[in-house]
Amino acid sequence: MPAAQENRTGVAKRLDLRLYIKQPPVMLALLAVLGVIFFLAVAGLSRAYHAQREALGNRWFSRGVVDLNARRYDSAMTEFRSALLYSRDNYDYQLNLAEALIGLGRTAEAYSYLVNLWEEEPENGVVNLELARMAAQRGQTEQAQRYYHNAIYAVWPSDQEEKRRETRLELIEYLLSINATAQAQAESIALQENLGEPAQQRRVGDLFLRAQDYEHALAAYRLSLKYERRNAAALAGAGWAAFQLGRYPLAERYLQAAVSFNPDDTQSTERLKTTQLVLHMDPFRRQISVDERNKIVVDAFATAGKRLSSCARPKAAAASTSAQPRLADEWAKMKPRITEQQLRRNPDLVEQAMDLVFEIERQTSATCGTPTGEDLALLLISKLHEGN
Amino acid sequence: MDLNSQDGVTDVVANNVVNGAMNSVTNNDQSVAGRTIYGRSPKALLKSVFREERFFLILSVFIGIYSGLAVVCFRFAIDWCRLYLLGTGAVLSPTRLLLAPTLTGLVIAVLVIHVFPLARGSGVNQTKAALYIYNGYIPFRTAIGKFITAALAIGSGHSLGPEDPSLQIGACIASMMGRQMRLSRDRMRLIAPVGAAAGLAAAFNAPISAVLFVIEEVIGRWTAGILGSVVLSAVSSVVVMRLFLGSESLFRIPAVQLERPSELIAYSILGIVGGLASVVFSMGIATFRPKFKALPLWTQYLQPAMAGLLIGIIAWLGAPQVMGAGYEAMDEAMHGRFTWQFLGVLAGLKIVATLFSFVSGTPGGMFAPTLFIGAMLGAAVGGAEHVVLPHLSGSAGTYALVGMGVLFAGFLRAPMTSVFMVLEVSGNYSIILPVIVANTIAYVISRGLQPIAIFDVLTRQDGLELPSTEEQREEGILHIEDAMRAVDGPVLDAQQTLQQALQAAQASTAEEFLVRLSSSGWNSVTKQQLRALVDQGKGGTSLGSQLPVMQIPSLHPDQPLEMALRYVDRWPLVPVVSRANVRQLEGVITQRDVLERYREYGES
Repeated sequence: MPAAQENRTGVAKRLDLRLYIKQPPVMLALLAVLGVIFFLAVAGLSRAYHAQREALGNRWFSRGVVDLNARRYDSAMTEFRSALLYSRDNYDYQLNLAEALIGLGRTAEAYSYLVNLWEEEPENGVVNLELARMAAQRGQTEQAQRYYHNAIYAVWPSDQEEKRRETRLELIEYLLSINATAQAQAESIALQENLGEPAQQRRVGDLFLRAQDYEHALAAYRLSLKYERRNAAALAGAGWAAFQLGRYPLAERYLQAAVSFNPDDTQSTERLKTTQLVLHMDPFRRQISVDERNKIVVDAFATAGKRLSSCARPKAAAASTSAQPRLADEWAKMKPRITEQQLRRNPDLVEQAMDLVFEIERQTSATCGTPTGEDLALLLISKLHEGN
Repeated sequence: MDLNSQDGVTDVVANNVVNGAMNSVTNNDQSVAGRTIYGRSPKALLKSVFREERFFLILSVFIGIYSGLAVVCFRFAIDWCRLYLLGTGAVLSPTRLLLAPTLTGLVIAVLVIHVFPLARGSGVNQTKAALYIYNGYIPFRTAIGKFITAALAIGSGHSLGPEDPSLQIGACIASMMGRQMRLSRDRMRLIAPVGAAAGLAAAFNAPISAVLFVIEEVIGRWTAGILGSVVLSAVSSVVVMRLFLGSESLFRIPAVQLERPSELIAYSILGIVGGLASVVFSMGIATFRPKFKALPLWTQYLQPAMAGLLIGIIAWLGAPQVMGAGYEAMDEAMHGRFTWQFLGVLAGLKIVATLFSFVSGTPGGMFAPTLFIGAMLGAAVGGAEHVVLPHLSGSAGTYALVGMGVLFAGFLRAPMTSVFMVLEVSGNYSIILPVIVANTIAYVISRGLQPIAIFDVLTRQDGLELPSTEEQREEGILHIEDAMRAVDGPVLDAQQTLQQALQAAQASTAEEFLVRLSSSGWNSVTKQQLRALVDQGKGGTSLGSQLPVMQIPSLHPDQPLEMALRYVDRWPLVPVVSRANVRQLEGVITQRDVLERYREYGES
């Protein structure tokens, strides 16, 4: 009997337990415990899942970078696309994919990636620069300038200052390519303030030259020459800037130095010759004797006469204007009086003769094209004394 | 556990156990047993806390958490299947493209035919069947089957989506929990939709859309009792899902805007095209599904494999985007990375691929393919419109987004959900006008050309008669005003003498008369009763003093006709009064009027 009693007690206990478990609070507690276990299990799975995806993404990305650097754009594109399967919002993956697409010439696709990246990080320098280049290619000048400016003031992952300078240089080149000279000058001035290396100063000088801002170009070359006195390119640039500014003695110094350091620089040699002619043929320069000045005037008058007659020849006749016969008459009338003795007797004749010479050079330059040699020198001298 | 004492024996025993425990406490420590909390005993307090409606709400949170965890696992399973079956790269090898979906199709067919027969078919319909037919019962085996077979199918590239299986997995989990908790029948019926909302919310990462969809498509009506549970489960499942998969939405939506109202015309065109595409898609399924089902049994083993092979060939020929759910391709379409011509081709191919995947009996849902077709079609239409009208401001992303809503409205016939889904996934309210316009047009076209919604078509093909939520929505409701009639006799006043009342009644042919009581309310009296009272010599007394105390309830013309049924058998004449002035009689209604009106309605 005790055994049967024990058995009954055991059954009752089991029944009690089962019924107790079915009480709402107990059931909810059980659900909570099971939920925690399930949650922990899913957390473990989740870690494995995300780790695997990250590893796969990185693996494809690394392959893509190798192919991108080797300019195998097609493979790179596929690999970056694969990497994006595992992390669709990864910035680097998208940026590199865009670069691969640009390399493949699929600019429309690349543009869509870049625009997304820009929306995500409008202050990213690389993205702004790429967008600027694409806008420039598409002829969207306003957008291109906006993106270039964004890139200049953007955040760069490394070498921030250098990247900003490079971007501004690129912008200036772009502005020059679209003949926005004034804007290019403004950008060049802004750039000059942040330059350090002589090579950069020289590049800015070149840009100023292209923007026809010779004053700033000369300043940039001079700054560059402070650090590299013997740099032939900087000397040539400075010489040409000084030449354009009409500062011929300075131009002669720079060009002489440039030619001495680089005798193969034919352009500078030619410019030096012209500079020296200008300096030699200018009758109004200081510190020359009256006789010497008179001789220069007589020579210049003869040179102008030759130019006039050559410009009036049949092949150029079509291009000649109605002013040329008048100039020829005047020249012919004045010619008997333009001798050294007459000039000595009548110093006012010097100015009259040179005025006619300058007018002839200007006129023939307009009708027969830019002269060379002595005629060019006379033309430059005329510009030098314009308004005096 | 039956809190409404449905299972009386168990409850009595359980209560005894609890009482016993309580008694033992009392014996051991009188002071403890004598304690009350807020004037109630601990047992009473416990019972009040765990009243079934409250318990149901708490349970909804657990359903949400469990469903969220299950859906997260399901997503992992799909991705792992894809990795191991199709490979890790974006460009897939031709061998895998052709073999993976084909061979997996064979495995799926065996599993579906021999192990998990309920895994095939629509999860939405199975949840509805649980609600309306099986008292909330869905075998848990279905969830396991759906999990395995759908993960294999979607992972191997079959053109199906994970949302419908997620919905069903959620419903199965809820059903199992409800059974274990031994909820009452009413609660059990509702528990499957609660789980369905949790599963769908986690799959879409969009709780509002999930709640709306379940209310709109599964339950079919708004009831306060269920809404709280559905919302709680949806929110808790989304919270869990976001913990593991991040809070980013399914799609990265580019900036969306509508600059000129005239552009709505462009979106209307998208609505028309989308509506027609919806009809083609649903008619294709309606036509081919029974034909495939009618083929000999041995072909059932081959059908998923053949569908897989077809998809593999499409992918191999240059459109791998049609494989699987296709979210990556949708994302790319939204960001303008395809030409509009290619987008149009993708939309067409996806219709074909999904059609054959689905009708072959491969488990998986149609939500994602619907969104895919809509996105591609939208972006294609937008692209084509841009060619003709370059000044249009909408981007490819805008049109793709609106297109998704259009197909959702046209194909799944869930117009409310379609609007909110687009708003929820885009997070941009400014797109609402194009969405409403285009979705409405698509819905109207689809409704006009294909009167029966796709879910109802599938239900009827499966031999079930589930209520059509669309028909319910559009069903005409009879009101009191449709059955009431004018008062055909005088309205007596309670202050009149019985003699005066009898005289007024005798002047009329009617037998029954309404009596307006002096303060408020109504009563009635017959000519015969009046005559009897007067014969008893009470002709000088007031009519009101002789009437029974109980007043006749009044009705209003706008109330549903079924309201009248509660009263017309107890009172031969029920007054219908104005809501603005309850003393103003609009008419009367009798049992005969109500039945007559229902008969006419049934005949029409």
